[in-house]
Amino acid sequence: MISAGIDIGSRTVKLALAENGSVVMTRKVLNSHNPVETCMQILEGVQYDSLTATGYGRHLISNYLPCNVISEIKAFAAGARHFNRDCTAILDIGGQDTKAITLDDAGSVKKFEMNDKCAAGTGRFLEIMASALGLHLEDFADAAVSAERYQEVNSTCTVFAESEVISLVTRGVPRNEIALGIHRSMASRAISLLRRVQVQGDLFFAGGVAFNRCMRMLIENELGCRVFIPDDPQITGAAGCALLYCQSLPSHIPGRE
Amino acid sequence: MTQKAEPLFQDQFTGEPPAKRAVGYIQSQREKGKHVAGIYCGYAPLELIHAMDIVPAVLCAFANATIEEAETVLPANLCPLIKSSYGFIAKDTCPFYSFSEAVIGETTCDGKKKMFEMISHKKPMHVMDLPQLPDEKEALTNWEAMIRKLQVFLEKTFSMKAADADIEAAIKENNKKNDLVKQILEFAALPNPVIGWGEMHDVIFLSTPARGNELNPKLAELVKRLEKRVSDGYVYGAKNAPRVLVTGCPTAGDAAKVFKIIEEAGGVIVALDSCIGLKAFSEKVAENTGNPVRAIAERYLKIPCACMTPNNGRLTEMDRLIEKFKPDAVVDIVLQACHGYSVESHKVGTHVSGKNIPFLKIITDYSQGDSGQIRTRVEALLESVKK
Repeated sequence: MISAGIDIGSRTVKLALAENGSVVMTRKVLNSHNPVETCMQILEGVQYDSLTATGYGRHLISNYLPCNVISEIKAFAAGARHFNRDCTAILDIGGQDTKAITLDDAGSVKKFEMNDKCAAGTGRFLEIMASALGLHLEDFADAAVSAERYQEVNSTCTVFAESEVISLVTRGVPRNEIALGIHRSMASRAISLLRRVQVQGDLFFAGGVAFNRCMRMLIENELGCRVFIPDDPQITGAAGCALLYCQSLPSHIPGRE
Repeated sequence: MTQKAEPLFQDQFTGEPPAKRAVGYIQSQREKGKHVAGIYCGYAPLELIHAMDIVPAVLCAFANATIEEAETVLPANLCPLIKSSYGFIAKDTCPFYSFSEAVIGETTCDGKKKMFEMISHKKPMHVMDLPQLPDEKEALTNWEAMIRKLQVFLEKTFSMKAADADIEAAIKENNKKNDLVKQILEFAALPNPVIGWGEMHDVIFLSTPARGNELNPKLAELVKRLEKRVSDGYVYGAKNAPRVLVTGCPTAGDAAKVFKIIEEAGGVIVALDSCIGLKAFSEKVAENTGNPVRAIAERYLKIPCACMTPNNGRLTEMDRLIEKFKPDAVVDIVLQACHGYSVESHKVGTHVSGKNIPFLKIITDYSQGDSGQIRTRVEALLESVKK
């Protein structure tokens, strides 16, 4: 039996197929103004026995396809446990929100916190800041890591932060120092969410922002813990969905209904 | 699946927002020649107002529609309840305000009392100086003095008199009314609740303006109807749905989006721990004390409002409600920029989590823009309920 999990995020739609407790296939597509169409596109030619959806588009898709619907919190808890079976703390920074989750030893959600309703501290924030500095997203973290000093960026709001960055650039502050300042402000927001859920031990870092090595370093230094990043951190939620409804569920993934 | 039951209220307002029935009631009282006084919150001493046969009308404050108008004068980063309420008055669209011949306010939070200054020229207004440290020994004496001053204001404004015997009588009929309302709201405490938040609001919205002697027979009828639901095996919401206690700021109208999301996520709201909820009905005024005004002062000072410090009554009341309503989760609704409830939320959350009950704080306003984020949080909360 093949179970499929789909994570319909604001920027990317992710698909994972699981069979006998293992992830056997994954796929990612950039989301569009028409998430239903994007979902159909990613599911094209895929055979599965059950489908489970999460992400901001989870209820929308359930109007078009028969599927189970679960929250991202539950999906990430299950996915993180699959890739790192002892994990008790998760940070997910996606396109439009940030989540901090702690799990008990059995893997059930203990506490969770999410960012406020604006894009501050999310992947979208990094994208906009990179573009304000005229950098590709891929080069943004490298620029930050290369800086020896950082320029503080105080604005939390994405729109205000963009104006602040532009005025720093026109003042002649080196780009890499601004880049490091932006990463630091974002990391400190993630850390305050993590402290609110009382994170202890190692941290599982998921979501597209986990690809950013500067964020990883800053969080590791500040929390003094090890940060585990799976091969593809973006797929965590979709994998969790697929695994939760997989017939032979591995014993370390709780919460199956 | 939700079963169908006969509506609790069967009148021309069935299916309408609960404020409509209250408007209808107040209009009928106006036609009888009664005076109406606008009130703002749970600290307005209803027994005293009723003793003069004045009808207390809770002013509108729960709609997003009037906020745009309010923000031409008030700061955007202010509590939506205050903005909405000011907007209703500025646009002259609150029926309760237009019925009111005078307005009673209390110094609860800073935003409200500054807003009172901005509407005070429109109608006669009396602001009661509410003690902020209710446990201090002077608080009761001061609050009693404020209630007496209100009495003088009402007597002058409306050329009415209230003797102690009138106040005592109003206390007694109001106590009976509160008992009945409490009894009705506690039909949600049953293992299979037979009343939902919508009908709770129907009862609450009517029970503030209406006098006990007039309303009590009606309330007794509602109790009978609820008892019949129980004997018919009716269940509100899905059987064994996760039970949610909602606490925090007064929540109604457009903020009730949170209630709708909780129900859509499969939960059932069993208790409303706010001023549009159990708070107004949970305590009684002592009877036959020989000093009815002081007895009223004593009861109202016990309201566990986050404007007070310390507000230990909040946690005591939370314990009582948890014991009675057996919630599987607690949701704390904080209106944007309500510092009292927002700061206190940490204390409440720690207390509730210490009892191994999942807790969720939601900061929101009257717009619908954050519904998606609220939905994710609420669904995750209900998933974490072990049933």
